[in-house]
Amino acid sequence: MKKILRRSTLIYIVALAFIGGLGYLAFELVTGADDWVDQAYNAHIAGDGGLAQAGAIYDRNGTALAQTVDGKRVYNESESVRKSLLHVVGDDSLNISTAVQSMYRSQLIGYNLVFGLNMPESLRASHDIKLTVDSATCAAAYDVLAAYNKKGACVIYNYKTGEVICSVSTMAYDPQAPPEITEDNESEYEGVYLDNVLSSTFTPGSIFKIVTSAAAIENIPDLYDRTWVCNGSENIGGSEVTCTETHGTLTYKEAMAHSCNIVFAKLAVELGSDTMTKTAEKIGINSSFDVDGIKTAKGSYDVSDANENQLGWSGVGQYNDKVNPMQMAIICGSIANGGKATNPTLIKDESILSALGINYKSSGQELFSSDTATKLDDVMRYTVSDYYGDNLFGGLTVCAKTGTGEVGDDKNPNGWMVGYSKDEDCPLAFACVVQDSGFGFQYAGPVVEAAMIQAAKSLGASAVQ
Amino acid sequence: MPDLSIIFDMGVVALRFLMPVYAIIIVYQCFAAMRRRRRPETPLISLLNPATGEMLPVLFWENSIGRSKSSDVTVDDPTVSRNHCVLLRRKDGWYVSDTDSKSGTMLNGKRTRGRAKVLIDDTITIGGTSLIVKRGEEFQQPLQSSWFFSKVSDKPAMKSWKLMLLITFFHFFMCVQAMFWNDGTNTTAPLVLFGALAAVEWGFFFISYFVIRRVNFELESLALFLTGIGVMMLIRQSERSAYVQLVAAAIGMIIFCIIIKLIEDPDKVNKLRLPAMICAVGLLGVTIVFGKITNGAANWIYIGSFSFQPSELAKIIFIFIGASSLDVLMTKKNLLEYIIFSAVCVGLLALMGDFGTALIFFVTFLLTAFMRSGDFKTIILAVAAAIFGVTFVLKFKPYVADRFSGWRHVWEHTQDNLGYQQARVLTYMASGGLFGVGIGNGFLKQVAASESDLVFGLVSEEMGVIVAFTLAVAVGAMFIYARAITTRSRSTFYSISACCAAGLFVVQLSLNVFGATDVLPLTGVTFPFVSAGGSSIMSCWGLVAFIKAADERTYSVKR
Repeated sequence: MKKILRRSTLIYIVALAFIGGLGYLAFELVTGADDWVDQAYNAHIAGDGGLAQAGAIYDRNGTALAQTVDGKRVYNESESVRKSLLHVVGDDSLNISTAVQSMYRSQLIGYNLVFGLNMPESLRASHDIKLTVDSATCAAAYDVLAAYNKKGACVIYNYKTGEVICSVSTMAYDPQAPPEITEDNESEYEGVYLDNVLSSTFTPGSIFKIVTSAAAIENIPDLYDRTWVCNGSENIGGSEVTCTETHGTLTYKEAMAHSCNIVFAKLAVELGSDTMTKTAEKIGINSSFDVDGIKTAKGSYDVSDANENQLGWSGVGQYNDKVNPMQMAIICGSIANGGKATNPTLIKDESILSALGINYKSSGQELFSSDTATKLDDVMRYTVSDYYGDNLFGGLTVCAKTGTGEVGDDKNPNGWMVGYSKDEDCPLAFACVVQDSGFGFQYAGPVVEAAMIQAAKSLGASAVQ
Repeated sequence: MPDLSIIFDMGVVALRFLMPVYAIIIVYQCFAAMRRRRRPETPLISLLNPATGEMLPVLFWENSIGRSKSSDVTVDDPTVSRNHCVLLRRKDGWYVSDTDSKSGTMLNGKRTRGRAKVLIDDTITIGGTSLIVKRGEEFQQPLQSSWFFSKVSDKPAMKSWKLMLLITFFHFFMCVQAMFWNDGTNTTAPLVLFGALAAVEWGFFFISYFVIRRVNFELESLALFLTGIGVMMLIRQSERSAYVQLVAAAIGMIIFCIIIKLIEDPDKVNKLRLPAMICAVGLLGVTIVFGKITNGAANWIYIGSFSFQPSELAKIIFIFIGASSLDVLMTKKNLLEYIIFSAVCVGLLALMGDFGTALIFFVTFLLTAFMRSGDFKTIILAVAAAIFGVTFVLKFKPYVADRFSGWRHVWEHTQDNLGYQQARVLTYMASGGLFGVGIGNGFLKQVAASESDLVFGLVSEEMGVIVAFTLAVAVGAMFIYARAITTRSRSTFYSISACCAAGLFVVQLSLNVFGATDVLPLTGVTFPFVSAGGSSIMSCWGLVAFIKAADERTYSVKR
């Protein structure tokens, strides 16, 4: 009998493994519970039932964007503000999965592992969330953007701190009265739950010349000594590459300012697909950026199957090139920052460290060498001062590039404008796109103008006072 | 009147906070009672060596005698074999049985053949040593006792009926929770179910106490506690299933009594081995031919509207086949018959696609084989063979591996069947918090198999993580108890079967809990006693009979 007792020790090992497993599960539960709870299918937090006790969401100035009053979710009183921040704040449902009310619903309704999600409402603690956005800026951008009645996006963020000041996506609807989407009207609301700032990609057109420029600056030593001749169109690799006008003889800087397709197509062909791809990869065109845990949609630069003509078109942001608005704002911000990207955030950091002005967040990756960033800054500044005129956005010192992404299929092109302001008290990078519109400066320009001036005012920048 | 609603809310919350503490108290009391209600450990008989005057205590119902240090009675004499003979106690007295020793065993000068009856003052001669059988009281020295039973406080154990009352109240609180669920409808249904449950529980208690006249009821209390939770959980999911579960549990209790009666004589049990083996293989074979595929495994048999899982019944037979009494264990060392039987069972289960149950059988086989032989070689060989078999299957049937490709990646598979269930278990487990959302207020119940394979998640969500972990620990701790009574069983047949039945529970529990929560890749097995499923609950009650039978008081002491 003693032997049997001794041998039964083997079962102890099984039992110990079981206890160990329980310990591991408990550890995973304690560390992962917040993420486990925030799932779109979680019926405890879906629907307005979950928001009946939720905390409020404020913008950077303390304006309530959404709050619960007597068990009902009430959004900001201004319709423009409500619609402009639909994709940032979200609505009662969990349909807009990247919105704060979806991503942070468990925090808003006061979830913690100890009490779970079904404590009686009278005993539940809820939490408020303060955002970095400025509701006035968002409304200003939205009013201009929505007037086109097209799909579009406008984002502005502080490239020093990462705080997103404005993030607007159209089409939008009023979260206070969400539409009932049926078979009859679903085409009208196609993609309405998608935040175009974070989750959509568009054909870039000429704004992609920033990428081609970076490759040329780093790989063609005599770039600034050369001149090119533009006759409005030229045969490259067996087919035509066309330009918007006949520019005549151009230097590199003039080619950028006047956005000459011929010059940039030739540069792309000269650099070759490997160098172009390497530069695009380094700048992060084919990658996601992290915005409070949300991955931005990946852009795309893929010339692995392209012929010479297509390679040329890829250098001017056509062919199969795709970029994401937030991605472009980050790229522009990193040029302003001397090459270093700052990760954007929508959640206001109210920790003690940030109150003391200490930025403890790790800085993002390096997208450009500081030399390349300086040269790009110079050429983008030249583009504005030489081509658009210097009083573009009030008195702000702006560097920018516009783009007109042709999409074919009888559709009007994507109008783009990306860039940044250099002012010390207004360090903002922006990206704006209007689908199915026309020239970037004509369509995206006014949106950015309205938004940037309002943003500069809200930040108290001296240039617009 | 808003003040009243807050008071009501406080009451609901207080009840929810109370349940985990209450569950822990009940489980503790069950095991405390198992520890305390023991006879004092004294030698049953003793052996006097007249040559040295040494008195050797005989502590167990079955004792190996030999030169080996691990023998129960060690005789330091080079002419004695390492394992010379076995001295065993049966209902009608003591027997000595030679276990293939070199020099044989003599009783009062005559060589024994098979088991020979031993009386007080008889002389057993092994090699050059003679031992005279004396009464146990003649041994006076103090003895060591297993830690589970040592240092037990003098406080008397809780009376069985009081323990039962505690458990009934726990089920009643569950009933109250279910009555005041968020949905608000059908408030009396839980009360009716609770009445039926209480009737079954107390009916079983009274039959055990007054008809079978058993002295103790702790193990049954623990099983009833778990069973009742499983039944009450079902009321807000499917009322019909709740009653089916209750009826199946009642049948399980009958099976429990029948098995205890059936294995009353550890020697006669041998005759049942062959028919039982044929029965087990037959059951599994029939399932392969007629089984219907449910959730990827063809392990169900349907007869009209009645369905059951034959593999659950096969578990009981599997435990039964593995064990035998000490003299048989010592003489018949060949495990071949048992290995072939186990390989056939595991193979048939794998063929059905029921990998979870196949793994349970395999690990149980390892435990049993080791307890019988103490031979690590057999274990290593079997594990190697199993790894080879699994590699072989994965190489030639790679789609089998696809079934497990969602493991550790459930958040990428929340909408397909690779991670749908596990992701929901985790989400709703976290949603429940430490104290649960209350019975009937969960949402995991809308997910298929939540009441069986995912029941750990269901309990976590509705009753809280603490209760769920407590139940898991309670089932796991049955092994501690089974091991503690190992040497106090009436035969190694009982101690081996009890330990292995408890080991099977632990393995099954691990697969259920860790499979549902994505710690392990397998799902599709039940949580012992708590999961819904008629065959499952019956087999659990059948298996716990082996643990009960290992307690010496089950047969020998009557009220």
